Amino acid sequence: MTLDAKWVPMKWPCGPLDFALRSKGKAPEAGVKETLDTWAQPAALEILKGTPINCLVVGWAAGAPEDAAQQEALKPLIAAGIVKGISFVGKIAAKDVAAAATSAKAAGLAAVLISEPSAQELDLPAILQVARDKVTWSAATPIFSASDNEWPGVKMDTMKGDTAVAGPTGVPWVNSNAWFSLLAGEMAPGKTIWLDFDAPEESTVEHPANYTLAIADSEVYGSRWIVSLDDKLREALLKSVPQATATWTKIGQTLSFFASHPQWRAYKAQGILTVISDFSGDNGFISGETMNLLNRRHIQFKVLERSKALLAPIPGAMALLWLDKDAPTAEQTTKSLAFVRQGGLLIAPTYWGPAGVRPTRRDPSIAYQVYNVGQGQIAVPDEGFADPYQVALDTQLLVSRRNDLARLYNPATTNCHCTFDPVHERRLVQVVNYATAPADYVTLWVNTRARAARIWNSGSAESQTIKGVNAPPGTDFGLPTVTVNCALEIEV
Amino acid sequence: MTHSCSRRKFLGTMGATAGMLMARPFSLLADTAPAGRVAVGVCHQYGPGVISTLATMFDQLGGLQKIVGGKTVAIKLNLTGVSYDRLGHMRQEDTYWVHPDVVGSTIRLMAKAGARRVRLLESPMGTAEPLEEFMLASGWEPRDFENLGTKVDFENTNYLGYGKKYARFMVPGNALMYKGYDLNHSYEDCDVYVSLAKLKEHATAGVTLSMKNCFGSTPCTIYGDGSPVDEPGLTPKGGRGPFHDGNREPSKSALQMINPKGSKDPGYRVPRIVADLVAARPIHLAIIDGIQTISGGEGPWIPNCKPVRPGLLVAGTNCVNTDAVCMGLMGFDPMADRGKAPFETSDNTLALAEGLGVGTRDLNRIEVVGTPIAKGRFNFRKA
Repeated sequence: MTLDAKWVPMKWPCGPLDFALRSKGKAPEAGVKETLDTWAQPAALEILKGTPINCLVVGWAAGAPEDAAQQEALKPLIAAGIVKGISFVGKIAAKDVAAAATSAKAAGLAAVLISEPSAQELDLPAILQVARDKVTWSAATPIFSASDNEWPGVKMDTMKGDTAVAGPTGVPWVNSNAWFSLLAGEMAPGKTIWLDFDAPEESTVEHPANYTLAIADSEVYGSRWIVSLDDKLREALLKSVPQATATWTKIGQTLSFFASHPQWRAYKAQGILTVISDFSGDNGFISGETMNLLNRRHIQFKVLERSKALLAPIPGAMALLWLDKDAPTAEQTTKSLAFVRQGGLLIAPTYWGPAGVRPTRRDPSIAYQVYNVGQGQIAVPDEGFADPYQVALDTQLLVSRRNDLARLYNPATTNCHCTFDPVHERRLVQVVNYATAPADYVTLWVNTRARAARIWNSGSAESQTIKGVNAPPGTDFGLPTVTVNCALEIEV
Repeated sequence: MTHSCSRRKFLGTMGATAGMLMARPFSLLADTAPAGRVAVGVCHQYGPGVISTLATMFDQLGGLQKIVGGKTVAIKLNLTGVSYDRLGHMRQEDTYWVHPDVVGSTIRLMAKAGARRVRLLESPMGTAEPLEEFMLASGWEPRDFENLGTKVDFENTNYLGYGKKYARFMVPGNALMYKGYDLNHSYEDCDVYVSLAKLKEHATAGVTLSMKNCFGSTPCTIYGDGSPVDEPGLTPKGGRGPFHDGNREPSKSALQMINPKGSKDPGYRVPRIVADLVAARPIHLAIIDGIQTISGGEGPWIPNCKPVRPGLLVAGTNCVNTDAVCMGLMGFDPMADRGKAPFETSDNTLALAEGLGVGTRDLNRIEVVGTPIAKGRFNFRKA
């Protein structure tokens, strides 16, 4: 048995163990037990028909009295699922992980989900799941899961979208896990990242959470969301309530859309800016939040772990943002200065360039000392990297909008991510809409000249041609209405 | 300074005029408000035709050299709003912003006329970022303005910018809303002040032309929603809500409302503030881009705006005269009172500025050269 990167996972709460865990401390809502019992039945697997979901995460062992009953109750479900080609991952929170894994293997599960690396060898492959602010990247398993993520979307006071919560600039605040997905791609290269987060409690059948966005926000940036439905939706699905079925159909379509383009995952993130940090400890907050806010500003960037920084050239890099107070090594100092001398921009908390260079100011609005070194510059903030919002804003100005790879006009709450297919020399720009309302009249500008591009819009299996309009030095593409996401493939 | 009309001398003259004006009743000021020449050119599209049309118009006004020769010229652009708002998929400059071809042609002609330096000014919404970066984000290339024959620089005037302090401009005579306004130094550090605006209607003030363009010269660090109570903020936050609805005073470092208990109606306040501003910081040359624009309002945030193509350029040395001619070209009556188009919900800014003695809005007194109004008219309400 091996972990399969092609698994499309879904949480499948069911059985007596899940009910017991729900009942701890408070009485669960009416209907929950019935739903959990019904979802433990093989017949429940019928809802997966027509979707690419092929991996179910089930509760297996929690060190609770219900563990044995749970494992017994799931046997018919697992047997039926295996016949349908579905793999099962058992979540283990018990002390004796090894024993639980052994019983899982005997029951036909394909892997286990655990919260700490096991000291003993297990009978099944393990997926390690850790809260994302406690990740030890070196311990990441080939499929690795992070919990405590954000539910993506516009931050609203109510699920009915009555009031958007504004960010520092007054525009609606958008929650996204994009930066974490990009970070995970750098810190755990070659591994598959599953993001674990649940729908907000306010989600109802009539006003469901934006599940398709949860999928898109994960997939576009290179990770995978463990599909997790709220209890009300799960209950309504099995009763074939039309609204629930409609929501589920959209979820299936969105999953299928991304499953039909597996090659996109292999494309490399584009960015003339590279963010460098160890992304941990004292540097964790500033680096994470800065990346979050860079992404919100539609800045395309790459991520590089500090110990690897500058050991090899970074294709396309024009600017480096060194976030950590920790000084570079002697080799990194030499190479960063070589990068600057050849025309690059280094943004760093302290100056480590040649002595005797007098700094200047670029502009009164940018509180940085700027040192001209060779053909490039080193920019040092007056007061360190204290405020990630300011760091992101200043970085965008220091790098200059002239070097944008892509821009969005009438963006509303959309964002975009640029990647590159080196084999076919094509750019892929994926646009994600973070609001429930469709985004109209969004224009995507790319810094490439192109007469046309191929576009896939949410849920459409086939691509269409979209004409480009000359907008020097690049091209404008007037997008059709974006409901959840769209993707443009542009020949370079 | 070696040019014939120094900044200090000009403002001194204005002060003397102000003293004279203060002695006269409001109506007499209107009757004797200056009347000059306004040039109207037909130009159906952006591109090479713009510069030749403008050149002809400036000649018709008596020549640019008299105005800008040897001078530092500040040009207040009309790039209202944020960098990413478009009307549909259309670029800003094809709808609600002045077009870079008009900006570039103006600079080139000024350079040819001997302008020593040109400073491009605008107060982009809610940001202190360099004006060049704002332009780049919008899809413009500011370097296109740098090789046109004279030194060109840029300043974001929505905050202190490169200045050490704000420049205070007092309204001569009887100010209407505030006795004076504190602006970015750039509005003082110039010999010639040009308002380069788009030909548009305005949801609050009826029309936005060369005068209303100057509303955006006021820094939101002082006059904005988020400005601190006592001293100006370091960066602008929000829009000019306090000007619109009088819900609060500007930072205390600036002059406060003349009548804090006065009307809170934006249709009352905004036209008066605009009139004050153009009296306090006079405009030497007004240029209006009406080649392509929008009807129905000043930007895509106004419902039912749509693109229109009047095919017009207008220029004049008096902002009230110029705006009056523009109104005529748009199918409006510059003598209209509140309640009549386009002033359905506002007072007439031109009337108020005329009352301060800035210029006449009476088309019978204004000399129109080039294309007559009747021939160039493009009815905005019927477009």
